[in-house]
Amino acid sequence: MKKVIGLMLALVMVLGMANVAEASTSGQLLIWADDTRTPVLEDIKGEFEEMYGIPVEVQEKPFGDIRDDLAIEGPAGEGPDIIVGAHDWMGELVANGLIEPISLNAPEQFMETGLDAFTWGEDLYGMPYAIEAIGLFYNRDMVEEPPATFEEFAQIVRDLRDRDEGKYGFVMPQPDPYHTFPFFSGFGGYVFGEDEDGVLNPLDIGLNNEGSIRALEELVELYDGYIPYIDYETMMSIFTSGDAGMMLTGPWAVADIRDAGIDYGFTRLPTMNGNEPRPFVGVQGFMISSFSENRILAQTFLNDFVAQEDVMYRFYEIDDRPPTFIPAGDRASEDPDTAGVLESAETGVPMPAITEMAAVWSAWEDALSLALNQDQTAEEALNDAVEQIIRTIEEGE
Amino acid sequence: MDFWRKYKSYFLKLIFLAIFNALALWSLIVGIATEGWILVALTVLVMVLINYIYLSDKVYPLRYIIPGTFFMIILVVYPIFYTIYISTTNYGTGNMLDKEQVINQLEGRTFLPEDTREYNFTAFKSDDEFKLLFEDPETGDVMLGDTIDNSIEDISADDDRLIDSTGDGEIDEINGYERLEQQELIQNLGRLENLRIDYGDNELRMKDLNNFALYRQRYEYIEEEDKIIDLRDGYEFTPVMGHFYNEEIGRLSPGYRTYVGLRNYRRLLTDQRILQPFFRVFVWTFAWAILSVGTTFVLGLLLALILDDPKLKFRKFYRTILIVPYAMPAFISVLIWRGLFNPEVGVINQMLDSLPFLSALPFMHSIFWTRAALVFINLWLGFPYMLLITLGALQSIDENLYEAAKIDGASIWQKFRYITLPLLLITVAPLLIASFAFNFNNFNIIYLFNEGRPAIAGAQTPAGGTDILISYTYRLSFETGRGADFGLASAVTLVIFLITATITWFNFRFTGALEEVKENE
Repeated sequence: MKKVIGLMLALVMVLGMANVAEASTSGQLLIWADDTRTPVLEDIKGEFEEMYGIPVEVQEKPFGDIRDDLAIEGPAGEGPDIIVGAHDWMGELVANGLIEPISLNAPEQFMETGLDAFTWGEDLYGMPYAIEAIGLFYNRDMVEEPPATFEEFAQIVRDLRDRDEGKYGFVMPQPDPYHTFPFFSGFGGYVFGEDEDGVLNPLDIGLNNEGSIRALEELVELYDGYIPYIDYETMMSIFTSGDAGMMLTGPWAVADIRDAGIDYGFTRLPTMNGNEPRPFVGVQGFMISSFSENRILAQTFLNDFVAQEDVMYRFYEIDDRPPTFIPAGDRASEDPDTAGVLESAETGVPMPAITEMAAVWSAWEDALSLALNQDQTAEEALNDAVEQIIRTIEEGE
Repeated sequence: MDFWRKYKSYFLKLIFLAIFNALALWSLIVGIATEGWILVALTVLVMVLINYIYLSDKVYPLRYIIPGTFFMIILVVYPIFYTIYISTTNYGTGNMLDKEQVINQLEGRTFLPEDTREYNFTAFKSDDEFKLLFEDPETGDVMLGDTIDNSIEDISADDDRLIDSTGDGEIDEINGYERLEQQELIQNLGRLENLRIDYGDNELRMKDLNNFALYRQRYEYIEEEDKIIDLRDGYEFTPVMGHFYNEEIGRLSPGYRTYVGLRNYRRLLTDQRILQPFFRVFVWTFAWAILSVGTTFVLGLLLALILDDPKLKFRKFYRTILIVPYAMPAFISVLIWRGLFNPEVGVINQMLDSLPFLSALPFMHSIFWTRAALVFINLWLGFPYMLLITLGALQSIDENLYEAAKIDGASIWQKFRYITLPLLLITVAPLLIASFAFNFNNFNIIYLFNEGRPAIAGAQTPAGGTDILISYTYRLSFETGRGADFGLASAVTLVIFLITATITWFNFRFTGALEEVKENE
């Protein structure tokens, strides 16, 4: 009887341990990725396992859960070694002490905007692999040549607007700071200023400087009868039914536009006041957990197995996000849409990753909505927004 | 046969107890394996208690209460106390880890001291131990490290322990330890990268696949004085509100989770961003809850009265159709309504536009019309519930009362006013109060429809025109300068809980709802 009980206890013990072992363990790698990344990682892990005899486990999680779960499971000792995530998580992850700096064997093989995005202070916190930015879609049946300057752009917006037929020159979602930022940056606005070391200063907010106000004023004028004030879904339905000449959004819309049979082109936005507009750039990459027992092993895996043209290109084939790994990016640029996104991203600014950004979005959104619906002038709306943002940031200190 | 009948329940009980014990034992073992001692203690306590209660006849009555109590504690009492606990901490972005983890992490940070050196290394393995041969590429000095006692010694390049058996100029063997090729090296990284070999004031640790380097610990924690010392620059950091802090340098990141007393509550009482719009938001929240309950109840009751009439044909059909809004997930319905109410391209405005004497309404931009749309959507979502409960309550009213009223010559209105309504309210009033409390905190519909907006021109705070307390404080807690602030969010939740609880209590007193139910029985 004693024997049987002992045996059962042992069995339960083993089962219990097996359950606990799904966590960073010395000598084996655990990766958290979402469903678009797991197939490629599953593919290449076999090669790594075979070559080095090191087990690699890829765990699939919904994209947003990766960030939240790392905060809970990492400190509890149940987190992964590597996560795949977005660069704008970085501020929060670093502030919470959840990720570690990483060193790349060949940083020169990556696009600079991608590396910039993952740089925090002096350290690089992630290996960028895909980059995206918004740009200008135009319907070739309505717009032959995309506008080169803002003046040409405004002219097309006015000329194509046809009330009786419901045609528009240009559509974009509102109130949407992310999509509106290229206009702000084009005319000289910014979100956070940088000090000499290139570190963002959360109390230097450029959303009500001369350039930002000018940009919003120009938009207010065009929204008065020419551009419709609509949300994202409505914008897509207008453009895909061929009722708009131009549309401002990102590469994720390509599939729908193609399906709708629109003869489209994708390019960067026109210059404003002679300046290149700089859209927000989002970068996705691999980060290493602070609670990993295998930092060098994880780096070896990333440097030697993931930073390969083939692998990076395979990621691209699966979810269409342009690679930041230059050799793979060059190959992907054969597709004109991808080339357009890369071109747009190259001039872009990484979306600010500092945690203070959380205080910016909604106040900025309110300002856009108030100004574009003419409840306030652009200047009043932006001044109020910046005042709110600064107050929120100071309160949080 | 007889035996089985007699002891059936006893055996069933044993089986359930066995399953329960197995699960408890399993979680006990997981608890021990992960060193979660609180879990272990609780599991043992619950296990002993449950077994005692179900096996001993002395505490027989407890058997019926235990399951309910157990789930009440897990699902209601525990979350309340946890929320209270969190509201007294600074838990949130930047203060996630506990103090011990932060100290560990800071003590693990290193820097390269001025006298740092970098060494190429070759690893040799025998069984589970390693010898490491270090070579300084600049001076050619050679050292030998050993993992058995973490020691290191200077040796000469022609030390006779170093054996080059193949004669290719590379050492292949040391004292029976065999050289690791790159591939084997990677297999053993788990052990090697966590090696720390003391070397003078510094420690030798792995830098990358080919090199070891001398590092020095950057921060040291002095436990007696509860402070952190920066060993490189000499600053001292003392704990202030969940961060190690120095006046010149500022805070060390990351911060830790700590008790901050009533600070979150004080912030609620002094923060202008909360106080300024509070009255306006509170009034609308109140109005919203009353309108929600009022409109849905009136419509639900009206439809119930009609459906209750036995002369009506196709009653079942109507009833089914009318329940549909209730059967659909509110999440999806709200989003659909949001599309219908779209001011530019929504169906509702297109219809209004095409009708004579009417024009499109500014549904998402004007406070009044956005609120009106919200009340309308809530009416659509909520009336089936009221219909269901009033239909049920109507059945329970005694027919004799109506007959008596008829004999006394009462009108339809009088019958409704003096018989139906009072008797209905006895049963329905508690549900109306519950519905009020629910709508008071109906975050979903407010947030999904327009995120509490439209924005208010010239406002000093981000409170929108349709924000209710819960949606506004959600924004305050999660769109702060530092990211999410769970401590503040918990404090807010408790304050709102107190407000709702007070209102509900007054409601019960005022309507005397519960007392009358008792008398009725």
